[in-house]
Amino acid sequence: MVNYRKEFSKIYDKCIDKIYRFIFLKVNSQEIAQDLTSETFLKGWEAFRKSQNPGHNNQKIENPSAFLYQIARNLVIDHYREKGKAQVISAEYTPIIDPKQDLEEKSLLESDIGQIRLALNDLKEDYQNVIIWHYLDDLPISEVAKMLGRTEETTRVLLHRALKTLRNQMSRIQTS
Amino acid sequence: MSAVIDLCFFRHNFSIAKRASLSSLLSFSELSCSESEDGKEACLFDFMDKNSVTEKELIFKIRELRQIKPREDWVSLTKSQILGQEPVAEIRFLHFPFLRFPLFKPVYAGLIVVFVVFGAFGFTESSLPGDLLYPVKKIVERSQAVFVSEKGRPQASFELANKRLEELTKIAETNQVKKIAPALEEYQASVAQVTKNLAKVTATTSDPVVIRELAERTQELEKNKEKLEQTYGIAGLEIKEGSNPMKVLVEWLINDLEKRTLTEEQSLLFETAKKNYEAGEFNKSLEKLLTF
Repeated sequence: MVNYRKEFSKIYDKCIDKIYRFIFLKVNSQEIAQDLTSETFLKGWEAFRKSQNPGHNNQKIENPSAFLYQIARNLVIDHYREKGKAQVISAEYTPIIDPKQDLEEKSLLESDIGQIRLALNDLKEDYQNVIIWHYLDDLPISEVAKMLGRTEETTRVLLHRALKTLRNQMSRIQTS
Repeated sequence: MSAVIDLCFFRHNFSIAKRASLSSLLSFSELSCSESEDGKEACLFDFMDKNSVTEKELIFKIRELRQIKPREDWVSLTKSQILGQEPVAEIRFLHFPFLRFPLFKPVYAGLIVVFVVFGAFGFTESSLPGDLLYPVKKIVERSQAVFVSEKGRPQASFELANKRLEELTKIAETNQVKKIAPALEEYQASVAQVTKNLAKVTATTSDPVVIRELAERTQELEKNKEKLEQTYGIAGLEIKEGSNPMKVLVEWLINDLEKRTLTEEQSLLFETAKKNYEAGEFNKSLEKLLTF
């Protein structure tokens, strides 16, 4: 018991930032992101515990990080489905931890981040996911492909299209 | 277009050529800004540089989103909420088919009460300092201590002190930072109780066998404490001088040995042990005194 608690504790430490960010970029609210992230890890922990118990036909979780992303994706979908909400960008952005002290640079950086968040939020789900996983979380194409249930080739094409759409969105935001 | 890509490959390297072939934004008309081959080439590389910077910038901007992080206090609180509590033992009686039979409903209710009561006790047993159920655990321990004889109290208090160390180990293993302070307090209180009980025994007994047995238990407790300090680097386990159980035992053993006749070799060892005691090195002193 103590061993797999310790094991999940390591998974938690490794994935918490990524899962929180993944959800936050989709829901644009700190509170909702916190709620959905805790629910993701709670479900993940329950499944992980059960998977350690071979007597109950429970399958071993091969890739805990991919498993947590899958839970997070489903929870975000459920969240929008249940509340009947449109994916609206909140005007109130949460403070972003910034190691840079220079205020001018900070404000510039924040506005850049704001722009990219807006642009990313306008993309369809697969485009968002492929960009987040590959460029933000540094997952290799092979792993992203597995998570999306696609071939590596189609994932590369998807990533290329996602980036192109994002670039168009960015220029639209910058010109407007 | 292919001629342009070939040109890139020839003049520069494969990666630039590949980029040019992939770039769907690149239209050939944009490249033909000059009629001459040199002019066309210059225009192409200008455009590509501009384009690649944009892509780099875009990826850089995406990566800036890594600054989005959850609050640290929320992260640790959520972790302790999910992993901090020992899971309640899964009650599987609901799967027993006979319990679903309507006739057994009162029995079912009765069983639930019994399970809840015993489950609660079981659950309190695994609770840690800072948990809601921890005071219940303490009450249970105190009520058990009432039935322990005066003679057995020091042993019982050693067991409790070791239990407090086990709790600290669990806390350290699960990284429940907020529980460390109350757990340390509990540990210090249990050691103070050990010392109090030892003081009572040493004041009434003249049996060195009893004292030696208690000294061994004290050393065992000290070893467990050192192990915890070394494994998890927990600070604050140092026992306050006034409540050090070793001090009480060392004093008793010194008084006892002073009354006895010692060989020359033993006298030398005894003197060293006394010096250790005066220097506050009770552990070293006890080790020496136990060799007599």
